[in-house]
Amino acid sequence: MIFNKNLKNIFLVVFTTLILSACSTAKKSGDLEGDVYTGTETVKYLASGVPDRVFFATNKSSLTTASRATLRKQAKFLRKNKKLNVTIEGHADERGTREYNLALGERRANAAKDYLMTYGISGKRISTISYGKEKPVNPASSPLAWSQNRRSVTVKVN
Amino acid sequence: MKKIFLFLSIYFIFLNPLFALIEVDITRGNLDPLPIAVSPLHVDIKSEKYEGLKIKELGNNISSIIEKNFKNTGLFNPLKKEAFVQKPDIAHLKPRFEDWRLIKAQALVTGKLLVKDGKLKIEFRLWDLTAAKEMTALAFTTTPSNWRRVAHIISDKIYERLTGEEGYFDTRIIYVAESGPKSERVKKLAIMDQDGANTKYLTLGNELVLTPRFNPTNQMVTYLSYFRNMPRVYLLDIETGVQDVVGNFPGMTFAPRFSPDGKKIIMSFAEDGNSDIYTMDLETRIVERITNHSSIDTSPSFSPDGKYIAFNSDRSGLQQIYVMRSDGSGVKRITFEKGIYGTPVWSPRGDLIAFTKMRKGRFYIGVMRTDGSGERLLTENFYQEAPSWSPNGRVLVFYRETKAGSKGEGFSATLWSIDITGYNERKLTTKTDASDPSWSSLLSK
Amino acid sequence: MTKSLIYSLIFHSVMILLTVLTLPFMIRQPVDLPPIVSVELIQISDKTNIPFAPKARKIIEETKKEEERVVSEQAPPAAKAKEKPDRIPLPDEKKEKKQIVKKKQNPEEIEPQIRQSSEFEKKEIVDTNQIAALIDKAKEEEAIKKNKIDKLTQSSVKNSFATGLTLSEEDALRAQIFGCWSVPLGLPYDENLLVRIKLKLKKDGTIMKSEILDHQRMNRPGQKFYKVLAESALRAVRLCQPLKVPPTGYEKWKEIQLNFNPEEMLKG
Repeated sequence: MIFNKNLKNIFLVVFTTLILSACSTAKKSGDLEGDVYTGTETVKYLASGVPDRVFFATNKSSLTTASRATLRKQAKFLRKNKKLNVTIEGHADERGTREYNLALGERRANAAKDYLMTYGISGKRISTISYGKEKPVNPASSPLAWSQNRRSVTVKVN
Repeated sequence: MKKIFLFLSIYFIFLNPLFALIEVDITRGNLDPLPIAVSPLHVDIKSEKYEGLKIKELGNNISSIIEKNFKNTGLFNPLKKEAFVQKPDIAHLKPRFEDWRLIKAQALVTGKLLVKDGKLKIEFRLWDLTAAKEMTALAFTTTPSNWRRVAHIISDKIYERLTGEEGYFDTRIIYVAESGPKSERVKKLAIMDQDGANTKYLTLGNELVLTPRFNPTNQMVTYLSYFRNMPRVYLLDIETGVQDVVGNFPGMTFAPRFSPDGKKIIMSFAEDGNSDIYTMDLETRIVERITNHSSIDTSPSFSPDGKYIAFNSDRSGLQQIYVMRSDGSGVKRITFEKGIYGTPVWSPRGDLIAFTKMRKGRFYIGVMRTDGSGERLLTENFYQEAPSWSPNGRVLVFYRETKAGSKGEGFSATLWSIDITGYNERKLTTKTDASDPSWSSLLSK
Repeated sequence: MTKSLIYSLIFHSVMILLTVLTLPFMIRQPVDLPPIVSVELIQISDKTNIPFAPKARKIIEETKKEEERVVSEQAPPAAKAKEKPDRIPLPDEKKEKKQIVKKKQNPEEIEPQIRQSSEFEKKEIVDTNQIAALIDKAKEEEAIKKNKIDKLTQSSVKNSFATGLTLSEEDALRAQIFGCWSVPLGLPYDENLLVRIKLKLKKDGTIMKSEILDHQRMNRPGQKFYKVLAESALRAVRLCQPLKVPPTGYEKWKEIQLNFNPEEMLKG
């Protein structure tokens, strides 16, 4: 009798816990994983199935698993189109000092470039440019907008 | 025994009054602005006409500039003209101190001017009303079109006499004038007098321009331009308008400043994603590498004696402020509090470093001693950064941006200034939105 | 019983933990620290300026005489007011007469409306009365104690006993000058910023003569700020006339030295 009562209580607690945690922040749900944008809202395509950009966490220039997957697709695309040259633009969100953001954008652009190079794309085909926080794709002042702005975009040159 | 004590006590009673000079320690005062009366300058009737200038109003115009300068410091309270008791010409000769004191003024400025033979002659006097005597008297001769600068120079002299500090009124501010939607901002280099007058645009706005700085003689500007989509450091001659790229770097150069002797440009150069600090001698064109680290090194700032450089580096993981010798040796981190730091600027007095601090989503402008101690945060905001020092090291100018709505609406960038005491935070008037301000040195030097 | 209690505790804490982790508003907001205001702790003692037993009597007698003088000076207006209803002896009048008599014997019962004295004057009278009571009990013992204390703490003696100003008198004067002194903010705070001004005062608190004790420093090169500071101090003193001086003991305070030091204000 007592044991059944306890079991009921445990179930109740677990059930409510699961319900509560389901209503958690956008940390797990939506378009943000950790601090990195994972959605498709601002994404353009170099070709069918080849996204033109990768996203970063605040103050970071390291590539996530998803970013690497995207870049591999880009590398494959570039290997097919041997005459194509690209510029990788590095950007930062507005939540930092202007000069540091210029340097950060440069780092992010080069992070993407270096990865493409490890997949056989010649460095001569890729130039980089940093725009710091000067060219946001989403002008809003929200964590979502900022995550969309922390990006490296591969742009066709010819 | 008791008798001895009684005797001694009587002895002390009568002995002490002989040395009794009462001393009272006054360790506090008030920070009330000093009430000062600035009388309109008397215009000599012998004054001739001068093209484009309303000579008759010149006396009033000059005193208005002086008043505005004083009011903006927060240290002086210029009294209303309606209460003035003497006419400008008489007041300049022999003010009736008691009458002026009645309107609660403690200091009085009087003067007179004469426009003759194409020249403007100005004379002013500063009076101490409580001591009933003259404190300063000076005269200037210049071209009449320079009348605004004379007003600023007079303000500087009076400021110095009353506070012991050098003034900062005869100065200019260079900044980036912004317009357009937030995602497609049009930016131009702009220059103006410190009081907002005489705004001039130095570039057309066809390419992005950022972070301009004056050279020590205020005749050249160095800045970052995206001309031909290649972000590089440029030099601009204010007089001729000629722009020249600095050096021949194979990659982005940015965050440029002049060395205190004006001979070198110090900046960041980004190679393969890594930003380091370099200098280039403007005459010899010799490039020297100052930092060599896989971290981002940027925002360099020379100490006024040229011996040290403060800069921003994330070699510890996040943005912090470091100080090193001007040859790049002896790198020492100076910020250790919680938060991240950027944009270090060394005060022209050499005693403080101003900075931007970011913590928990808020931005702060602050000052600290050059070893990192004594950190004082002066103001907090949603977004603000890039302080620049007035030439007397007492005031900082910086810029703020507002929160934007989902389509970028409501966004604005404005220039602000604040005293290093934390008092007197005020917005500067600019014709357009503005960012990246940099303060010149005194023009008269 | 205990088993269910344990279970309940565990599950309650788990629940709390989970809510803390998942609910965003539980994240602490940054605390905005208000600007630090420096507070000056002034030691206020019950009695200041306790005179020695032999002198005490003299002082008490003096002050009593002065009170009487003061009271009688101010009594006339009150007396006049009472003269009118004199013809008809009213019960009120008799009471008032009694009150006047009382006043001469027990100064502490003076009604505030008649005494228009300032704060420190009142206290002085009250003080001496209390002291009179004490001294009657312990004459010489007080003297001995006071003497020993004086020998040990000579620095405080300079300010409290020898100066002849009570703590409250000094405070009143200091507070008055605080209000008049506009401290120039542009002073370097790593230099010696002491400005000593010697004043010769008249009985009503106005200045006869002022002298800056280190005036040569004012014109030394590189000490421009000192001139500015000294001038601001002089201005303060002139603006503050008449100074808040005690109504009695002119000989004690006719010459006074004010030590202006803005170090505390600048560092703060």
